[in-house]
Amino acid sequence: MFSFSGAQQHGSMNMTQTSDAPARHHPSLSPEIGSRAVQIPLGTQTPAISQIEALLESIVDAVCTGNELVIPYQSIRSPNHGANSQPRHGESRPLDVVKFPGRTVQEAKRFEALFRIIEMSHEALLSGNLITKRNIYYQNPDLFRSQSVVDDMVDNLAFTLGVGREDLSIVAAAKGLISGPIDLILRDGSTHSCDIAGDTGSLLPSISSIQKINFRATRWVLVIEKEATFRTLAASQYSTTSRAGHGILITAKGFPDLTTRRFLSVLSTLRPELELFVLVDFDPHGVAIMRTYRYGSRRLDHEENATAPKLRWLGIISDDIFNEAAHVQGTSDIGHSQASQGTASQVSVADSFDGSQSERPTKRARTNKLQRRGPSESILPLTRHDRRKAVEVMKEVSGAESMSDDGAEQMRELQRMLMLNIKAEIQAVDNYGDISEWLDGKLSKHVV
Amino acid sequence: MSKQYLTAHTVDEAHPAEIFSLAPTPTTLLSASGSSALRVHSTTDATFPLQQTIPDAHKLGCHHVCTARGGLGAVAASVGFGGEIKVWACDANEWRLQWELPPSKTDGGDVWAVALSADEGYLACTTSDGRIHVWDINGREKIQTYETGARGGGSFAMAVDLSRDGRLTASGHESGGVYVFNNDAGRMVYSLSGLAKPVRTVAFSPGCKRLAAAGNAGVIAIYDMEHGEHVGNLTTPSSRPAWITSLDWNDTGEYLLSGSLDGKVKVWDVARGVCVATHSETDTALWSVRWLPKTERALGPGMGKSEMFCAAGASRSLAFYREATGS
Repeated sequence: MFSFSGAQQHGSMNMTQTSDAPARHHPSLSPEIGSRAVQIPLGTQTPAISQIEALLESIVDAVCTGNELVIPYQSIRSPNHGANSQPRHGESRPLDVVKFPGRTVQEAKRFEALFRIIEMSHEALLSGNLITKRNIYYQNPDLFRSQSVVDDMVDNLAFTLGVGREDLSIVAAAKGLISGPIDLILRDGSTHSCDIAGDTGSLLPSISSIQKINFRATRWVLVIEKEATFRTLAASQYSTTSRAGHGILITAKGFPDLTTRRFLSVLSTLRPELELFVLVDFDPHGVAIMRTYRYGSRRLDHEENATAPKLRWLGIISDDIFNEAAHVQGTSDIGHSQASQGTASQVSVADSFDGSQSERPTKRARTNKLQRRGPSESILPLTRHDRRKAVEVMKEVSGAESMSDDGAEQMRELQRMLMLNIKAEIQAVDNYGDISEWLDGKLSKHVV
Repeated sequence: MSKQYLTAHTVDEAHPAEIFSLAPTPTTLLSASGSSALRVHSTTDATFPLQQTIPDAHKLGCHHVCTARGGLGAVAASVGFGGEIKVWACDANEWRLQWELPPSKTDGGDVWAVALSADEGYLACTTSDGRIHVWDINGREKIQTYETGARGGGSFAMAVDLSRDGRLTASGHESGGVYVFNNDAGRMVYSLSGLAKPVRTVAFSPGCKRLAAAGNAGVIAIYDMEHGEHVGNLTTPSSRPAWITSLDWNDTGEYLLSGSLDGKVKVWDVARGVCVATHSETDTALWSVRWLPKTERALGPGMGKSEMFCAAGASRSLAFYREATGS
């Protein structure tokens, strides 16, 4: 159902054709090698421009001969594009078209809108610039009527031509934020350091505008669902003060956009030794977001190099919420358990960050654990919509061909959500707004 | 005075995923889990061998399975995470699908908890919009719908039970509400207060005189069913009691069994209002605890006539306990 198996491999082959191979083949954290930038190859001339020119030519020809003007146009959401339909971009099914003048005024307008997008894409491709979907919309708001019309048309056009959105030189307005000790060297020659003091995150540029990435000493990447959590961590310089070493923080402010997903995919391809983590809410949407980063989305299944299967689900999961409850429970229950026979095992809580935490010179105040907010105050009941969404995601998980360990984990968490009828935000595990202690414990387990 | 219960046997890894629900018959124990299969273990043998696996019962896993309390054990009902209800019939020790109710036929809210009447003729199921539907299993038609809020606007009904005399239906809700309906009159008779937090389990006593309810409050509330009064709470002193997920009365109505998220299973003397036994072999969540009905089972070695119960949950194993004899 997802395209990462074949397509990803093909993509990564392209990606590794860098001129700076040693930095990649000898991963080392020593500063001199770590400071060497990793080059991102310029995509080979895509077929998109020739396809678009052919399309424009055919339209010009049609105008000359007086024939009807026709643009092939396949909707991603057309009914015969099921979740499991193997053939990509319409090889086995008839192509839909948009015609001019067409039968109705709507169709004529649709043609005009689509033609404008193609024209703008062509201009952008020729000039080598990128154009945002938002920009396209504002070129002619009356014609497009809404941003979502442009969004759908752009993706459908890419899908029809069998290319990615960026191959058309069209990108979404930057939404993702990045913070951490790395430098992005853009194709226009400017250098974009992501760890400027006092900065709480900078906009993530499109991957096609990045020429090189200087990873310095980064060892991990943490993708965060919530912008607020990201900003807090960025402001406290968590990316350099973490006990797990230097790392990068990224957020797409909720549901991931293509630019952020692409960036993550490129990071994991360029630097396979980087540990990738994602931190999402404990709710069905959090699981869906995590899955989109990892496996891609169904709607943009035709986009390549937009998945990061290595991404690890850091949390929060049900155990994160209930271990804390169990801790409080355990200490208060001692001496009260009546007539317990056999092995009355004390509730054991694995709080890995509890031990070696004092050597850390930091301003973070140690707060008594028992005063920490218990789960009952930071969790909410699922809404009916949440419950429906959970079942929807479960169907996707169980529909994936083989149920891996990851799939089993996702099923378990979704089932627990439904059984308990609760959801919890990332804040459920923080310590009065400070999540760094919790993160230290979690990240240190995986980053060696 | 405390009672002694010993671990009789543990079936490890009884399911590949967490066990969410247990349902005993006189000779077997049905279990449902996060995986698609239902399992049936024999309870007449001291090793509790697996008697039947029902594969692909619920594709997304199963959260509730029930049999009739005090019934023959010929009918069972299960609800999957996908919202489908399946009714199973047992014939010559073999369970077969008798009837399936797809999610579309339960109009409106998604189905959650389920209960069977003692005569195994009726099925009650709750919905996420706070309704309780009662189905006639043989006639395969819905005979009653109880509303607990403005049409379809009720609080999520997380638990349901039918009294053994068939007269009453009780539901427990996310809002903390507990409602009792008279099935003959077809209307609500009691709206019971006392638990302000979500109610995860409700259970009528075998004599139908009492109703027990529990959930996130960590307290078991006991209600009198003649007058609809709150007559007491069962609780241990603890500043933060764990959420209770499951309750079950023993056959005499003297003892209540409770299971909670902190992994503790407790036996309560209802008349004295005290906990008489606590087991905490696991610190992972328990989702279901059930007494095994007292029967003239073929007594294998080590079985005895003592009362037994089973607890299951996140550990994926079935833990069987029996009362120590001679105390």
